[in-house]
Amino acid sequence: MNYQPVMGLEIHCELLTSSKVFCTCRNEFGGGANTRVCPRCSGMPGTLPLLNKGAVRLAAKAGFATNCTVNNYSAFDRKNYFYPDLPKAYQITQFDSPICTDGYIDVTGGRRIRINRIHIEEDAGKLVHDDYEGVSMADYNRCGVPLIEIVTEPDFRSIEEVQDFVVQIGSRLKYAGVCDARMEQGSLRVDVNISLMPYGSNEFGTRAEIKNLNSVKSIGRAIAYEIQRQSEILDKGGKVLQETRRYNENHDDTKAMRSKEEAHDYRYFPEPDIPPVLFTDEEIDAIRREMPEMPHRRFERYTESYGLPDEDAKLILAQKEFSDFYDEAVKIMPEYKLISNLMLGEISRLINETGRDITELNISPADVAEVAKMAADGAVSKGSAKEIITILFNEGGKPEEIARSKGFIMSNDTSGLDAVIDEVLATNADAVEKYKAGNDKLFGFIMGQAIKACGKGANPGLIKKTLSQKLK
Amino acid sequence: MFDPNRTAHLAELSKLEFTDEELLKMTKDMTDIIALMDKVCDFNPEIKPYTLDSVDYDDLRGDTYKESYPNSEILKNAKNTKNDSFVVPKVV
Amino acid sequence: MTLRDLRYKLDKKEIGAVELTQEYLQKIKERDGVIKSYITVCQDGAIAQAKAAQTVIDAGNSKPLTGIPLSVKDNICTEGVRTTCASRMLEDFVPPYNATAIEKLNAENYVMLGKTNMDEFAMGGSSQTSYFGGPKNPYSIDRVTGGSSGGAAAAVAAGFCAAALGSDTGGSVRQPSAFCGVTGLKPTYGAVSRWGLIAFASSLDQIGVVANNAFDTGYILNTIHGYDENDATSSAAAKGGYTKLVGSDISKLRIGVPKEFLDGSSDEVKAAVLKAADFYKSLGCEIIECSLPSLEYAVSAYYLISSAEAASNLSRFDGIKYGSRSGLGEDFNELIKNSRREGFGDEVKRRIMLGNYALCSGYYDAYYNNARRIRTQIRKEYAAIFEKCDVILTPTAPTTAYKIGCQENDPVKMYLADICTVTVNIAGLPAISTTCGYDLDGMPIGMSLTGKAFDERTIIAVCDRFEKDFERKECMR
Repeated sequence: MNYQPVMGLEIHCELLTSSKVFCTCRNEFGGGANTRVCPRCSGMPGTLPLLNKGAVRLAAKAGFATNCTVNNYSAFDRKNYFYPDLPKAYQITQFDSPICTDGYIDVTGGRRIRINRIHIEEDAGKLVHDDYEGVSMADYNRCGVPLIEIVTEPDFRSIEEVQDFVVQIGSRLKYAGVCDARMEQGSLRVDVNISLMPYGSNEFGTRAEIKNLNSVKSIGRAIAYEIQRQSEILDKGGKVLQETRRYNENHDDTKAMRSKEEAHDYRYFPEPDIPPVLFTDEEIDAIRREMPEMPHRRFERYTESYGLPDEDAKLILAQKEFSDFYDEAVKIMPEYKLISNLMLGEISRLINETGRDITELNISPADVAEVAKMAADGAVSKGSAKEIITILFNEGGKPEEIARSKGFIMSNDTSGLDAVIDEVLATNADAVEKYKAGNDKLFGFIMGQAIKACGKGANPGLIKKTLSQKLK
Repeated sequence: MFDPNRTAHLAELSKLEFTDEELLKMTKDMTDIIALMDKVCDFNPEIKPYTLDSVDYDDLRGDTYKESYPNSEILKNAKNTKNDSFVVPKVV
Repeated sequence: MTLRDLRYKLDKKEIGAVELTQEYLQKIKERDGVIKSYITVCQDGAIAQAKAAQTVIDAGNSKPLTGIPLSVKDNICTEGVRTTCASRMLEDFVPPYNATAIEKLNAENYVMLGKTNMDEFAMGGSSQTSYFGGPKNPYSIDRVTGGSSGGAAAAVAAGFCAAALGSDTGGSVRQPSAFCGVTGLKPTYGAVSRWGLIAFASSLDQIGVVANNAFDTGYILNTIHGYDENDATSSAAAKGGYTKLVGSDISKLRIGVPKEFLDGSSDEVKAAVLKAADFYKSLGCEIIECSLPSLEYAVSAYYLISSAEAASNLSRFDGIKYGSRSGLGEDFNELIKNSRREGFGDEVKRRIMLGNYALCSGYYDAYYNNARRIRTQIRKEYAAIFEKCDVILTPTAPTTAYKIGCQENDPVKMYLADICTVTVNIAGLPAISTTCGYDLDGMPIGMSLTGKAFDERTIIAVCDRFEKDFERKECMR
């Protein structure tokens, strides 16, 4: 039997702050064990948490990126549980009064996924298992790394919706400078709640939670596996257990994690060491004003206002800095398609070849705008425009000077043209003959020969005009 | 009202362990103590539970990092360490 | 003699800092074997600090506490000096950092004689739950010192330090000060940074001072108070000048006496406190009978809130990062249970159990949230009293110090004995306890003066005025 899958997500995102959320240790990935630890984040007796303003600011930005309300009042709570990666034996999180509530994202297919809340919390440490000795080793470097948890409503009905949502979250958070969204490094971690119900039903089934999904592809495969698994159970008249399952990439399956004997009772209560945070409307607005335009809005602009093909728009949007570069260039010179072509062609090639970032190239958006302007005005040909970009990259300089000194400026002088073209026609008398006999395709060939003979400063438009007249 | 099973459940939440004898003693103590605590149960539910005074966002700690502690200082009170880490029994 | 007089003597070279420190160390050596007010005595460290202090004094750069020998309660972190909380769990714990209060004392080149005895994790009113054995009352060594800062109070009373840092969560500075016949100040919540104070109940804990007199408590608070960026609950409203009003005219003050506090106290205590009220009246103060109707809920609310926070605060003691640990155990669960079983005493275990009971699902609203509601109500009732009074006079404890072994094993009886002190912590207010009489056995009776938030200077002045006319009996000095 076929069932309707119902899914909800909990997404943990590490925030791009300089320091940890409740202490002044550096917030970084990697490094030697316990080298970014202080008495505070290792939970030493007598220490107290100190909330990082930057973490609150980025959490608010995550809210704006996902159409949430950023609340004037938010407060912290303790979630109590014992685990060796949690040195205080409680996680500071937000339970009753999260910083952001009631957001949404529209996903592919047009459905709207509601976001219940976004709250701030601290990450736990890492355990490295030593199988030989049968022990684990606790490294607290990650303790206190600031996280937000984005919690959706169970609004997803297909794998595609889930995957699109995760891609959009990653992209929006990157644009907002909130999170680098590297799933493989764990800076964005997705848990999926999934249950099945008969099509047409309104009553959700029992859900299982899948953890350890470290790519968009894994999410798709894990859900597919889980739909299959739960369907088989239901088909046999069985009951799905409410449990946490771990996805194993190598086996492409999910397995129940060892269930705790007692049901979880986290004994949440207000964190007495951290006063609740008051956000004035002015402060909230100031952060809102720092928000860059989100990628989905840019996509609409690129495709609808600028007329770029969907694929090109997506390529430009893949990296915020690339998209920012494009936006700056078209602001100077609104040659949307030309600039898009230059950036997705020559500039992307240079980036790939050198492994450099767009911000590290010695070419500015103004340079690209100028090259595009010359091409649009007919001062240089489109082919020359590409060459000028490469020269700019290799040798530096100013686009117009390069165009001039390297002879890219197209001449509008027809005086010499007649003689050169006559010579081309004479040399290719055979082709001319055939063209005149009705083989229209040969015009391109003759045109090519003419351009070659005229040199790079020649104006292809003029050549074509002259040629057409002479071939009548 | 307080039976040894409930004491045992609380002990598990508290990560405490008692012998049978201790469990009975603790059950008796808890029965007496909770009887005293029951005083609060009929309190006026209209009153708002106390919370700390809030602070303004602007007064929070600025996001700058400082050098961490040398890990020898962090590890020195631990009874069992290896590879600059705290050794714990294997967790599955 | 006040600390200011001692300061004068040190600055006038009537006594040297090293000599002074040695005197105290000698007394501790001779007599603390019986009293057991210290867990750790810093013989060498104290002498070294005293030498450094003398250099500062000789250079003419002395600050109020330069060269003054103090003791520090053993739940306040001192870098390089073990800080045990009187628990087996932290028997060998050496903090890698100083509490802010200690940093402030260090900045004035004070001398730390050692770390004082207390109830394990400050949970108790007798100091008898100390893993190291409880201290004894210098007025009568078969009696308790009170607690939890019992070591601090005993040390001050016996002359084992010039003054002491303690901590007060539900009366832990005031009640032992009353029992040992000295003066104890619990400042407003937020007046002294909690950074480095090993947490018992975070929303109630406050570092306080035990001293020979009211002036000295303010003298030390002048140094240790203030907003601290390391403690988000510390307050910029703590502005210093705590001894400024000492000696000023207090005859215009209105002193409230809430009847509920007297009702539950012994006749001797009641009589002594009413006599103190008469003294103030004779000065011209207005004595106003007032009421704190929710006092009947206070002990339960206090124990629910403090135990809930304690259960969470003490969860970190798992035997991995610090603290006792008996081998690895089969798994994490076993290790942690073994460590906590060995590391914690019975009273600490009871509080953890109670705290988790108050927080666990199904009981949270009935217990923990109602306790928070009572907290709101008690704060309101105090605010109402302070609309017509400047300070509030109450007993510090319903009885005087009792014999060791007579009630410490009855938790309910112990909890109820906190009735006079816990509301001050629940409301976050400052209060000071001083001796106002002696019972038939010669044991000191304490009275408390409670002030408006951050108005320590008034209660210190009012307390000082009483002490000026009251003759204290000496204990075994």
